[in-house]
Amino acid sequence: MLGKGGKRKFDEHEDGLEGKVVSPTDGPSKVSYTLQRQTIFNISLMKLYNHRPLTEPSLQKTVLINNMLRRIQEELKQEGSLRPMFVAASQPADPLSDSFREAQPAFSHLASPPLLPTDFVSTMPLESCLTPASLLEDDTFCTSPAVQHEGPTKPPPPALQAVKDSFSSALDEIEELCPAPTSAEAVAAESAADDSKAQPSESNIHKPEGLPESRTAEPKLMDPLPGNFEITASTGFLTDLTLDDILFADIDTSMYDFDPCTSATGAASKMAPVSADELLKTLAPYSSQPVTPNQPFKMDLTELDHIMEVLVGS
Amino acid sequence: MSRAGGGNDIQWCFSQVKGAVDDDVAEADIISTVEFNHSGELLATGDKGGRVVIFQQEQENKTQSHSRGEYNVYSTFQSHEPEFDYLKSLEIEEKINKIRWLPQKNAAQFLLSTNDKTIKLWKISERDKRPEGYNLKEEDGRYRDPTTVTTLRVPVFRPMDLMVEASPRRIFANAHTYHINSISINSDYETYLSADDLRINLWHLEITDRSFNIVDIKPANMEELTEVITAAEFHPNSCSTFVYSSSKGTIRLCDMRASALCDRHSKLFEEPEDPSNRSFFSEIISSISDVKFSHSGRYMMTRDYLSVKIWDLNMENRPVETYQVLGENHFECCWNGSDSIVMTGSYNNFFRMFDRNSKRDITLEASRENNKPRTVLKPRKVCASGKRKKDEISVDSLDFNKKILHTAWHPKENIIAVATTNNLYIFQDKMN
Repeated sequence: MLGKGGKRKFDEHEDGLEGKVVSPTDGPSKVSYTLQRQTIFNISLMKLYNHRPLTEPSLQKTVLINNMLRRIQEELKQEGSLRPMFVAASQPADPLSDSFREAQPAFSHLASPPLLPTDFVSTMPLESCLTPASLLEDDTFCTSPAVQHEGPTKPPPPALQAVKDSFSSALDEIEELCPAPTSAEAVAAESAADDSKAQPSESNIHKPEGLPESRTAEPKLMDPLPGNFEITASTGFLTDLTLDDILFADIDTSMYDFDPCTSATGAASKMAPVSADELLKTLAPYSSQPVTPNQPFKMDLTELDHIMEVLVGS
Repeated sequence: MSRAGGGNDIQWCFSQVKGAVDDDVAEADIISTVEFNHSGELLATGDKGGRVVIFQQEQENKTQSHSRGEYNVYSTFQSHEPEFDYLKSLEIEEKINKIRWLPQKNAAQFLLSTNDKTIKLWKISERDKRPEGYNLKEEDGRYRDPTTVTTLRVPVFRPMDLMVEASPRRIFANAHTYHINSISINSDYETYLSADDLRINLWHLEITDRSFNIVDIKPANMEELTEVITAAEFHPNSCSTFVYSSSKGTIRLCDMRASALCDRHSKLFEEPEDPSNRSFFSEIISSISDVKFSHSGRYMMTRDYLSVKIWDLNMENRPVETYQVLGENHFECCWNGSDSIVMTGSYNNFFRMFDRNSKRDITLEASRENNKPRTVLKPRKVCASGKRKKDEISVDSLDFNKKILHTAWHPKENIIAVATTNNLYIFQDKMN
């Protein structure tokens, strides 16, 4: 059962699959709760961006995954596992805005007409008259920026771009790292993401030394996803964290040895025996089969990925 | 399980299967919706390729009194085509998300079909006579030289082979920014609602250039979006009442008389979460994939990941009945005609029925192996891994790619239509 259980002391330097008791009722587990959580976080990010670029991503799926990511972020915040310096570094992106405005002409199509229609709708006496659906304007323009941006610039708001670039670049690194990320690449990715924070004016346009190929992937990644982009990048949940904190901090990356491309195609039509069983146990607590303490609670990356796939239908 | 349970001991028999035999499924053939019309005589399916296929039940045959009429293809037409949204550079899928029939008012049949963005009203009409004996036209259509006409005659109607024509009568477009997941015709038979992830619009069947927004859950700041609409339906009897379900497991009942914009619900149905069951996936599991009123209008059924729940509209804080079933985000559910049995699909081409009176349930399989007509289907049983008895299926061997997402129950008889990925199975109860 993936229940939260009681608060535990999280040892940041613990790696691997050493057993940590998730909660007294769960019996011995081989995988730490935190590792599961991080794994789910990774998988969620993958799911968010791993879809047919031609069609609009399902808003429901995006929202569900976002909520999960947010919840994990909240938990991490509460557990105080953030490195303080990164919390400060990711403040509103005013200094970044100029560079991003120039650098990302691809997003000009998100430029909004004046926001008046929204205001107009919201001030109409909604109680008394029906709102013609034609007045509900196209929603890509409605995001209010986290940071007020003055000047005759076009939205998308700079905070969006800053957030997007910082974590989408890290996402690219994840994508580039698959199928078999190694520790070396993880370190390189971490440094590249650090670079993007430290040198905001040029990092997302120019290629960092570590991963030259990741930058070219970035416009490809974001361009076809304006709808999704609006939701995920603007959630703000990643402004306080860098992905390195969560993904690459002292974790045995040999766990991440899976190919999200094949998993997306549903290659495994049958689940491994343990995972299907655990799926039912974790998700159907009303089942009459008690959780036997003898059975090791093995939840590896592919199994969690499969669960997510089944649940969110990607 | 030695006896067939569920449904007053209905014994379900295979009747027909439609669709390609081979396992190589063309994506366009994947069935995306199934719906009986109000009399049950017609059965419509929509697929991912934007086509609608309508089956018609044969009239009861005196010589074949042991079974009801078979369903044969009545009409096939292309309802929606793929489109391209140039503004967002995105494809709009032609997949038919929902079909809803209008009650029959004259000789023609009408249905609404919708993809992600556009709803269409289709008229399906029969033509079995044609005029013959024109003065100026030959029988093959060529025009005659008027100077050769020496006598006049009156054209008469002569029988011809039945032709079924489908024509689009209304196109309701450009009212949804997000993907339409539901349409529902009001009991006034003049208006209908369409719901996407964040909004519900009200239409008049005669008016295509305007619709009215009656629910809007889009937050002013999209960063705050945490919940989407998953399904919506009008009450079967009360023309001002409708419900919509959400990804957070809530159902809201709204009354259109209370306000033009029904953002404030009249009733909120939500079962409190059991804190001991909380997990990473709690919210995803509670997301409701389908909501359906009972025919009586007294109850409604919701389908979430792990269960089918029956709610009494008079009680908001918990369902009156809960049936466990494994499912996924997009499984539908349906009632039988008398509201005594509910049915839903599952994995491995299994589907399940729950008898609300006897509290018995049954799991059946839609497969070509059972395709002898009048063979009673054998109940299936799924067991936890490691404890498999003979004839049981271990949960580990379930094929999670073989899903029955769409099921429909004839409004009056014990005939059900069950859609696997690309095949439509029709089962009926054994008549003696």
